[in-house]
Amino acid sequence: MGLQYTLRRVATAIFTIVLIVLLNFLLFRAMPGSPERILLGRMPGVTPEILQQTRERWGLDRPLFPDQFVAYVASTAQGDLGFSYSARGRPVTDVLLQRLGPTLLLFGLGEVFAIVMGLALGAYSGWKRGGVVDYVGNGVSLVLYSTPYFLLGMGLLLVFATGLGWFPTFGMSTAGATYASLVDRLVDYGAHFVLPLATVALGLIGQYAILMRSSVIETLGEDYVTTARAMGFRDGRVLRHHALPNAMLPTVTLVAINLGYVVAGAITVEVVFNWPGLGTLTVDALSSRDYPVLQGVFLLLSVAVVFANLAADLIYGVLDPRVRT
Amino acid sequence: MSAPAVPAGTGGAVVARPRRQPGLLRQILSRPDGLAGAVILLAFSVLALVPDILTGPLQTAITATGPRLAPPSGAFPLGTDELGRSMLNLTVHATRISMVIGLLATLVTVLIGAVLGIVSGYVGGRFDALVMRIADFFLVIPTFVLAIILTAIIRDVLGTGSRELFGIRLSLITIVVVIGITSWSSTARIIRSQTLSLKERAFVDRARVVGAGGGHIMRRHILPNVTNLIVANAVLTFAGAILTETTLSFVGLGDPFQPSWGQLLDAARTVGAPGLGAWWYFVPAGVGIVLVVFAFTLLGSALDAILNPKLQSRR
Repeated sequence: MGLQYTLRRVATAIFTIVLIVLLNFLLFRAMPGSPERILLGRMPGVTPEILQQTRERWGLDRPLFPDQFVAYVASTAQGDLGFSYSARGRPVTDVLLQRLGPTLLLFGLGEVFAIVMGLALGAYSGWKRGGVVDYVGNGVSLVLYSTPYFLLGMGLLLVFATGLGWFPTFGMSTAGATYASLVDRLVDYGAHFVLPLATVALGLIGQYAILMRSSVIETLGEDYVTTARAMGFRDGRVLRHHALPNAMLPTVTLVAINLGYVVAGAITVEVVFNWPGLGTLTVDALSSRDYPVLQGVFLLLSVAVVFANLAADLIYGVLDPRVRT
Repeated sequence: MSAPAVPAGTGGAVVARPRRQPGLLRQILSRPDGLAGAVILLAFSVLALVPDILTGPLQTAITATGPRLAPPSGAFPLGTDELGRSMLNLTVHATRISMVIGLLATLVTVLIGAVLGIVSGYVGGRFDALVMRIADFFLVIPTFVLAIILTAIIRDVLGTGSRELFGIRLSLITIVVVIGITSWSSTARIIRSQTLSLKERAFVDRARVVGAGGGHIMRRHILPNVTNLIVANAVLTFAGAILTETTLSFVGLGDPFQPSWGQLLDAARTVGAPGLGAWWYFVPAGVGIVLVVFAFTLLGSALDAILNPKLQSRR
């Protein structure tokens, strides 16, 4: 792969991360209330001397630039994101790591399901353009695309948990349950997992199907596909071996670009199902105005999205030589 | 600035093709998707314009008359909430809030995006590079998380009161501004690339040669030629703005005194409506959101087909 292409992408990613850190630093300095008062809390009998000492202890008497900013960048780079206001002063990094697993599980699996099903649906609709599957699939995709994730979640909850009683309504497992065996435990976790997973997958399928459909239609119009047909290959073979590999290219980028939006969905879906991930953490931190945690969530998610985009760009560069400019 | 404007006919032969086509609106309405989108939006606009005439003034905990969390009945066609307020009344009033916030946020977004896009594309150089870097930044990062944080901080700085602007509470105006700040970048990118190509056309050169200044060219020659693009973009932005407002309200940033659809959904979740089987609490607001966003998507695709004839012939 072209070295220049790679370098430019990496440079852009680093620049974006620098901007994110800078924004994070500035935003939380704009907050009302002075940090030394927050540090001291509601302690009675705070004299000006104590205030001054606190400022010196935490470096708040030095100028924002460069001293405070350098200190902030240094500690952020070491994984020190400060302490949560609400979680009894636990380090933000600890709080984030504890919530990361459930979110990765839910959205990783949801993405995989959505990509497989969305691409299959889109490819088939594009292939049999104007058919029943295309007509219905396109309509359903558009409606799903217009529905906020959490609304979808509330609907599924109403029908399948409350109405039909097939699945439990919230959490990752039954609270206070003791399991006779590992199988029982897995069954309980699995039952809690179905609805959130279905919500995430359904929320994403629409856009993948829409993109894949138009991509397949476009590819099918290319000369080399006509040539393959003229050479007498069977329809299925032309689709699988000639049209699909190229038609799938744009989806690589879409998956990465989508991550930013998936994050918004993550937050709300988790809230609907009380899923103990980063989303519920964000909303809890928001309602208690736990700014260090909010700052940490923003940093973690933004950097993750930037890396995902970088990865997609580099993968795309390998897959499609035309973009290596 | 005192240069004579290029006579309409001379420039028109080269560029003003979109303006010569009769009535964009008529073209939209002649397509099935455009017509369907327009009809749905018209219906919701009526609800948004005259909620008081249709269902009376917004009910509060004090003026509520119904039983608590009751299913739909003759007196309360959409049931009641946990305070005994009519869900029909709340949902219709929420239509107004959601649509107005969506409209204002769209105006702010498109204004920022169009101005930055035109100026950036026309001026070029370092200013252009800087603006586009910032635009890329907003395109990559998860803007929703940023929007949450910005809304929280701005509210904390301004303080929460009952001050109003255009009859909208300040807490909701915050949401409008935050949506504008976090979603202008795609508009700016699109308008900029169109400006770049317009800038090279003969009629812009001609205006420059006869002594027109940059501001005049941007206003009189570039802007009229990107208007259709701005409209098409505004349609998609509107759908996005309504979704963002709904989601922000859902995570607790709405205003209970001026409930939007998202605020109703948040209230429904807090009460546990899905678990209680109280579908009437959130299904109407949900249907409203989906229909309005769907209508904008339909309008957007109609506009896309009209403004990009190439795309049309391929289908």
